[in-house]
Amino acid sequence: MSIDRHRPLSIGISLLITAVLVVLSARSFQVQHRDEVLYPSDGLTRAFPLSEVNPHLAGTAGDTEVYVYEGSAPGGSVLVLGGTHPSEIAGYMAPVLMIETLHVEAGRVFIIPRANASAATHNEPQEAHPQHIVIETAGGSRSFRFGARFTNPVHQWPDPEVYVQPISGTTLAGVEIRNLNRAFPGIADGNLTERVAWAITELIRRESIDVSFDIHESSPEYPVINAIVASEVSQEIASFATISLQLDGWEFSLEPSPPNFHGLSHREWTDHTDTQPILLETANPAMGRLRGPTNAELAVLGQDDQYVKAAAIGAINVPFDEEGISIERRIARDLVAIGAIVEAFNMLNPERAILMGGWPEPAALMEDGLGRYLAPARDGTSPR
Amino acid sequence: MLEPHWILLIMLGVFVVCAMLLKVPTGLSLIAASMVGALAGGEGLPLRHLVEGAFTYIDPILIIASAMVFMASLEQSGALGSISRGLLVHLHSRPALLVVGLTVFIMFPGMITGQSTATVLTTGAIAAPVLSACGIPRPKVAAIIAMSAIYGMIAPPISLPTMIMGSGVDMPFTGFDIPLLIATMPLAIGVNLGLARRYLKNIDMEAVLGDLDENHATRHGWRLYLPIVLVALLLIGIRLVPFLAANLGIALVFLIGAAVGTRTGRRFNLFSAARRSIRQALPVMGILVGVGTFIQVMTLVGIRGMLVVTALGLPSLWKYAGVAVMMPLFGAVSAYGSASVLGVPFLLSFLGQDEIVVGSALSLFAGLGDLMPPTALAGMFAAQIVGEPNYFRVLKHTAVPAVITALWAIGMIILANPLAKIIPG
Ligand SMILES: [Zn+2]
Repeated sequence: MSIDRHRPLSIGISLLITAVLVVLSARSFQVQHRDEVLYPSDGLTRAFPLSEVNPHLAGTAGDTEVYVYEGSAPGGSVLVLGGTHPSEIAGYMAPVLMIETLHVEAGRVFIIPRANASAATHNEPQEAHPQHIVIETAGGSRSFRFGARFTNPVHQWPDPEVYVQPISGTTLAGVEIRNLNRAFPGIADGNLTERVAWAITELIRRESIDVSFDIHESSPEYPVINAIVASEVSQEIASFATISLQLDGWEFSLEPSPPNFHGLSHREWTDHTDTQPILLETANPAMGRLRGPTNAELAVLGQDDQYVKAAAIGAINVPFDEEGISIERRIARDLVAIGAIVEAFNMLNPERAILMGGWPEPAALMEDGLGRYLAPARDGTSPR
Repeated sequence: MLEPHWILLIMLGVFVVCAMLLKVPTGLSLIAASMVGALAGGEGLPLRHLVEGAFTYIDPILIIASAMVFMASLEQSGALGSISRGLLVHLHSRPALLVVGLTVFIMFPGMITGQSTATVLTTGAIAAPVLSACGIPRPKVAAIIAMSAIYGMIAPPISLPTMIMGSGVDMPFTGFDIPLLIATMPLAIGVNLGLARRYLKNIDMEAVLGDLDENHATRHGWRLYLPIVLVALLLIGIRLVPFLAANLGIALVFLIGAAVGTRTGRRFNLFSAARRSIRQALPVMGILVGVGTFIQVMTLVGIRGMLVVTALGLPSLWKYAGVAVMMPLFGAVSAYGSASVLGVPFLLSFLGQDEIVVGSALSLFAGLGDLMPPTALAGMFAAQIVGEPNYFRVLKHTAVPAVITALWAIGMIILANPLAKIIPG
């Protein structure tokens, strides 16, 4: 048959097409493995890799930078964790803005902007998320990666069908074994995600961190949003902060950390360290299942027609109009919450007060845009 | 730029033209539709999205491929035929019990792996000749296997669709065992007895045994079953002692079983057996690749959101109809995709009803997606193992069971709160 005669040719053509597709697409995937350059403010006193805390992370894709800002006066200490879920872009950009603007007078501030560095290197299939967002600064445009919720399977694979949490024995869907916020308190020489979780928990213990923030975003249809999540040990500072935020006109709800849902940062830090844990959650339509066209503009501007429709029929839990929820508004919420909680901590522990600032006022941030306050790109282009 | 519903129509149009008129393979037709959809959505030809989407189901694809090789190994070594023969010899005088026993037997791998395809290809393939020997026609045998595999996928202790929905709303997978048993066991036994009811008379053993493979167990002894025991131990071992047993992944476990099978019974060439089975599975694996890109583009251009908002906007009574139609339809691409994309928002929208019972019921709808063309994974593989070339003849027999399943699930959602009260624990 003629089919057989042409077979070597059609196999050859198929292989050629495949090779071209692989080479062309591999480039855009590989770019994601390069960390974008951050420009810390001159308040930075030192930086070190997380593998200094857990040597099992050295040379792995889970190793990530810890930025430290120390005041000249003594005081308490704060940890700010971003990028636990790198698809929650404001949860990454809020710590980045802090890194580039922060000044500390008293106490110490630790910032880990890319908590799950491996998860920042890829996107979740089916989500069609952008690979990065672009922010215009005075020195040119800077791009920041929009990552995935889970550790990159290239770095940790295969998943079991079911994830049985090592400490609690709770069973979760298998993919959750790559979810940093199900892996706490972590295992020093466990899988990559567990190693990262252990290193963060150990950092909190080793540095006796007083207040630890874990910054997230979630879809507007998720029940817990615009929330401050606190456990039994952080309930007091969280309540004070929520009240003062509400007096200032900010809508925040205070949610208790579920006592039996293990692996979560606030739950396990409460049970395994002496820190007061806080989780912050803003609403981001780029993460929701109801969203319309998915792209970088959606992640930055937070405007979406489908969510406007959904709000009209009462299908979501936050107010949502044509104005949307911009990344500036989401970052501003995180920063005012961090400010209010540290203030509450200072009020209750004046001898360990943490005095810090430098980041823009919320109104100014929303008015001028994020690019006005990020460091300008140094070479006039995106650093990647 | 076009509205999402127009882009959806264009994508479906391109798919139909390619697949039906031009006879392009289904997987490639889906990719063509995705490319046109992205163009219509003003995204150009987003190579990265197409490739990323294509890799969505890489794990299920590996599992399907390795399960096919494992089954080929069992068949060639003579283990399959010997098990069928043994089951018949021992249970032929009580056909109703035989059907009930086979139902639970078929469901078992689904219950511990949460996978319907692997179930059809393993215990389904073992049970098929036994059911045929009872005189049940091939398409009905395939229907019984497909339905059992779907119920097995949803039944406890491991129900992936339910767990995926749980992840979406941050609900741990605890307390689901009894609701999931209620969702699956009565249906599994009822539906299969219904499908087999006309053939539950005594079986003429003399006539039947002649049709079956010879009994290799007499020559090779217990060693013949070693691959099955090994695979079961490796799969269950991970479950029982997750910290001790290395996580090999289902695919590798099946391949180990296949390799062991070359030395435990009738000798055969594993490579050529593997090649044959991969060739058989290739169209389905291609469809999974195509489906991955199709959904990625649907999300990219906003079709996914449009569908979800439309579903949630349905008035309350219509919402049940919406769930019953949209979740299986979306499940055509994958039961897991349906659980994640539609299951999660629907679960949230039934707020106030016990979410564990509702989640269990919604899993049934997601599972029915495995009967929806073009993929119809359960139906297609079940047709393949019984040797039925046209899987639509199998789907004809699963139609009534599917409707009964949907009604059962709607009943569970309506009665979620009273049910939750009487469920212990
Ligand atoms: Zn998160």
